[in-house]
Parts: sequence; C-alpha cells; structure tokens
Amino acid sequence: MIALVAQDTQTVALPGPPVVWSLLWPFLILAVGGVLLVTVTSVVPVLRGRSFPAAFTCLTALASGLSLIPVWQRVDRLDLVGGTIGSGTEGPRSLVSGAYAVDGFTVFVTGVICVSVFLTALLLDGYLRREGLDGPEWYVLMLMSASGGVLLASANDLIVSFLGLEILSIAAYVMAALHLRRAESQEAGFKYFVLGALASAFFLYGIALVYGATGSTTLQGIFAAGPNAAGLDPRTDSSLILAGMALLLVGFAFKVSAVPFHFWAPDVYQGAPSPVVAFMASGVKVAGFAGLARIFLYAFQPYWADWRPAIAALAVLSTIVGGLLALAQRNVKRMLAYSSINHAGFMLLAIHAAASPDDGGQRGAEALLFYLLAYTVMVTGTFGVATIVGGRGDGRHDLDDYRGLSRSNPLLAGVMAILLFSQAGVPFTSGFFAKFRVIGALASDGSYALGGAAMLAAVISAVLYLRIVVSMFLIDNGEAHEADHEAVDAVAGGRAAPEAEGDTLVEASPEASVLTSVRAPAPTALLAVCLAAAVTLVLGLLPDLGGGILSDAASALLLAG
Amino acid sequence: MAQYLPVLALLVLAGLFAGLSFVASKIFAPRNPTAEKLAPYECGITPGRDLPERFPVRFYLVAMLFVIFDIEIVFLYPWAVNYQELGLFGLVSVLIFSALVFESFVYLISKGALDWGPLQVSRRQDPMRSADRTTASTVRRVGQDGRTVTVLDAGVAAEEAGSGVAA
Repeated sequence: MIALVAQDTQTVALPGPPVVWSLLWPFLILAVGGVLLVTVTSVVPVLRGRSFPAAFTCLTALASGLSLIPVWQRVDRLDLVGGTIGSGTEGPRSLVSGAYAVDGFTVFVTGVICVSVFLTALLLDGYLRREGLDGPEWYVLMLMSASGGVLLASANDLIVSFLGLEILSIAAYVMAALHLRRAESQEAGFKYFVLGALASAFFLYGIALVYGATGSTTLQGIFAAGPNAAGLDPRTDSSLILAGMALLLVGFAFKVSAVPFHFWAPDVYQGAPSPVVAFMASGVKVAGFAGLARIFLYAFQPYWADWRPAIAALAVLSTIVGGLLALAQRNVKRMLAYSSINHAGFMLLAIHAAASPDDGGQRGAEALLFYLLAYTVMVTGTFGVATIVGGRGDGRHDLDDYRGLSRSNPLLAGVMAILLFSQAGVPFTSGFFAKFRVIGALASDGSYALGGAAMLAAVISAVLYLRIVVSMFLIDNGEAHEADHEAVDAVAGGRAAPEAEGDTLVEASPEASVLTSVRAPAPTALLAVCLAAAVTLVLGLLPDLGGGILSDAASALLLAG
Repeated sequence: MAQYLPVLALLVLAGLFAGLSFVASKIFAPRNPTAEKLAPYECGITPGRDLPERFPVRFYLVAMLFVIFDIEIVFLYPWAVNYQELGLFGLVSVLIFSALVFESFVYLISKGALDWGPLQVSRRQDPMRSADRTTASTVRRVGQDGRTVTVLDAGVAAEEAGSGVAA
C-alpha cells in the first residue's frame, strides 16, 4: 500500500492512441459479429439451429459491406494523399498510432472479403443441412477469419500484419478440419495447420530481420529507411533486409499457394469441406494477396528492383505448373486447386507489373484489384457447384460425377459453364478482363516475355476447364467413356483412379452421378452459385465497375500505403 | 555478458547436483532386488488389472478452461501493476479483453464442458435418449399378440436355454 502511494506521486499517465471508430466499422462489424454470434447461440440454445447462424452471417457481411460506403466517401480523396497521421477527417490515413491504414485499397479488399463471406455462408447453409451437421461454429470461424483478413489487408505495421495473418489462418485451419466424421477433413486440417504454422514462422522471422535492418516495423518507417531516404547508406544492412524480404515473401507465397510453396493446396482443397474450400480459395487468398501487395508495393518499394525478379519467377512457375498439373488430375476439387494456383500466378504477375515505377504501376495495381474481385466471385461459385455435385458425404468429385449434369440439372450445368469459361478467360466474362488487364499491364511495363508466358499459361489452363465442361455436356455412350478414361490415364502417367469416398454407389449407366442433391439442390446454395454467375457476367460486360473505383483504389495503394 | 554469469553458475550447480545424486545413490544405496520389489504398483498396492488407456475427453475441456484463465491472468497482472499509468485506455482495453475471455467461457459451458458425467448434453437435447425407453417399452413383440405361452413350450424353451448354457 505504501509502495502504491509512493508510486502515485510520480505517475505519468500514458496517453492512449486516438481511435477513429467511424473508420473502423467495416472491420469491427465482422469481428464483433463473430463474437456476438457465438455468444448468442451459446446463451440461447434455440438459435443454435441451422437457419439463424447462416442468416446472421449473411447480414453481418452485408452490414460490413454497406458500412464501407461512408468510409469510401471519406477516404477517397486522392488530393489529400500523404496527409499527416490523424489530422483532418478525410483522405487516406492510418489509425491507432499508425497500426491500421484506411484507404481506397483497404476498402476495396474489405468489400471483396465481404462478398466471399456472403456467398460462402449461403453455401454452408445447404451443406450443413445435407451433411446433417449443425453448430454455429462454422459461421463464427468464418467471420473471425474474415476479420483477420481485413486486418491483414489494412495493417500498416508488420506486427499487425502478423496478427491479422494468424487470426485469418487459425480459424481457417479449424474450419478445414471441422467435418468431424470425415477422416479426409481431419487430414486436410492437419496438413494445412502444419504447413501454415511453418509459413507463419517464416513470416515472423522475416519481420524480425526487417526490423533489425530498418529499426521499424511500421510500413512508413521501413519505407523511410530505404535507400531513397537521404542520409542513409542503403548498403549497410542490405543483406539483412534482403533476407527479411525473402522470408516474408516465402510466408506470403505459402498463404497464396504460389509454386513452389503450393504442395499443401491440392491435398487440403481435396479433403476440406467444399464450402470451406470456397472460402479458403477466395477470402483467405484475397487477404494474403492484399497483405503481400501492401507490404511489398509500399514498404519495400525502395527495393523493388531486388524483389521483382523473385515475384516474376514465382508467378511464371505458378501459372505454368498450376496449369500443367491440373491436366493430370481426375478429381475436380484437385483440378480447381491447381487452377487456383494458376490464378495466383496471374495475380503475382499483376503485382510484378504494379511494382513498375512508370505507367505500368497504376495499370498493374488496377489489374490486381480487378483480378481479386473477379477471382473471388468465380472461384466461390465454382466450388459452390462442386459442393452441390459432391452430394451427401461430399465425396463425388470425380470428373465422371459431372457426366450428364446438363441433363439432370441444366441450370447448374449452365452456371458452372459460365464460371468455368470465366476462369478460362473467355470474352464477355469477368475472367477475360481480369487476364486482359494483367497482360495489358505487363505490356505497358515492357515485360513482354512475362506477358507471353501468361498467355501460354492461360491457354494451358483453358484445356482444364474445357475438360469439365465437356464432361458436363457430353452425353456419352459407354465406349467414349472408356476411351476417355484411357486417354486420361495416359495423361496422368498411370495415376491410379481416386479411391472411392463416402457412400458412392457407382452404377454402370452414364447417369450414375445424378443424385437427388443435384436434382434438387439447397435453394440457398443455388442462389449463391447463380449470384456468382450473374456477377461474373455483369463484370464481364461492365469491366470498369461503372466508374473510377478501381483506379482510385489502385492509386491509394501506390501512394498512401 | 557478465550479468549472465550467475545464470551459468546456477546451471553448472544444478547439473552437478543432479549428476552427483545419481552417482551417490548408485554407490551408497544397498541393492537387494526381489520380484515383488521390481513389480509396478499403485500407491503401494499390487495392481489388480491393467491401467485404463482411455479417459474422458472432459479432462481436455477442463485443461482448456485452465488455459483460458491462465492466459487471462498473464495479461491482467501486468495491467493491474501499471493501472495508474495506463489510465482509461488501459481499462477499456482490458475490459474488451476480459469480455472476450469470458465469452469463450460461456461457449465452453454451453458446449457442456462442466456437465460432468455421462452424456448429459445429448440426453438433454435428444428426447430419444431417455431412461424410460427400454426394450420392453419400445419393441413390440410380433406374433405373440393374443397368444398364451403354453407350459409345454415354456419347458422346451427352458431346456434349450439350459443346453445353450452348457454348450
């Protein structure tokens, strides 16, 4: 007591950082929504059914998305870029002692993550009903993961980035393993956890090295310590910061599953519950790319000549290897996993272009943002169709299970065809403009070789999507079926047929795959995939998003950080 | 490096003590092993059966409860020590943190982490699991409606049962 009183005389109150709550709402709604959902369903067990958590999650995602509008109006003032921290009420700036940045880029990525959460919640509803699972845990974890993703995308400090990355990932590990009765789900969760933890270790070590080299963990501090700043010798600690950047890049490459850090992706995507895969491939990956873009394009901008070749190598490897390995698969979820590796390569190419100091920079950043949005919508929709076709037990993911889909459920087959054509980059879909923008940005940057590699990879991956489409629409007889089997086995190099999963009752007829779940899918899941297809078409017809949103958000990324 | 010298000294002392203890007990202790002395025992009593390998998963839940409060105290104690300096900002932060920790506690209770005993959660939720439901109340004897079991049949049945036991 005496000690306390004695201390009291010399107490100096530490000032807390000012918090601008009104700009934090999009993040807070997601985070608080998740906590609120688990609390409400714990206290009121009646609400623990299946409808309430799904509806709550959709509404939370909508509310977070709507709360972005006033934030965007306040932030979208490019004339105020670079204003001092905490001053004024408008323009892009950082909050909470420079820990959290709010700018057009953040707002855009948050919106994309909200889209992903909304669509996945609709998918999860039908999935949980079909599998006889319940519990709000799926939705709670998804909201948590999404809030971590927003934090990673908005982090203005490497420590906060790490925090966001962990919130994002840990929830995703649990979600991958949440189908308790399926051993595949457990295996996927374990693999994802072990490799993700390894990636986190790389990331953290990278932060430590960067801090050692620059003396700061904030993005502004790292930028200011770069060779552009006056009075600092850029070569003193350059090996240290190069190693730090390399480790950070490895950590992010794991998260976005870029070759050669992609080995977990096909196994995890194949084993994890399909709606969860939809979220992992869209929301988690988008957040990873947003963090990668923010840290490398802003904090490490002074070193762009050093890290750009590494990004280019990762990108080209991802596009080519992802496309080629996808051809050797017969499991549709594995094919889509490799296709998402292929897409990751394209997004890395966009980052490569965005690092350009001249005109290509702006176009590259715009291409990245458009690709993130288009990719999220189409990959969620595609895995949504895979969820529906997967049937009870979530085991029907062989290419043969898609045979005759156009006859058994023409709507589903049509939606899937739109989404797959979009992924392949067929005109009048969002995927075409996404790839077009990336290659255009590379061309205006002068990276013609990379652009050529991207076009080659796009052609390779188109074959993969066409295989699924052909499988859906080709009503074959037995001979063609067998011939295709042989041809594919030859391509796969004698790869054994995937082991039977779940309650597969394979019959001889071509329509063995037609299930009641395909004939009458859950209305919410059908709504989700139809929405995804509709947005894909709309983005394909209105690639400018009806205004300068893309260019403003991209400029904010390049200028404000 | 000088300030690490006591740590090093303590490390050496600890190693010496452990090593010397082993050596001393080897040298000085009388060794007269018998079969009874070498047998494993439970609290001084010879075990009558193998140790159970499975134990309730609730132990893990209790361990998780412990971790929750452990983490909480790890953060609360430094805050309490620096309460004056941290002021209102610190108070609000700790309140948010405590609310989240308490929230996980609520979730654990709702999942039945503190319902000790067999299957209380499922019994509460599932009307099909009840002590009232026995084979007598749920299984209808088919084919015996309106029939009485004759003495002869009963005797045959008893014989068959007896021979079954003998076999």
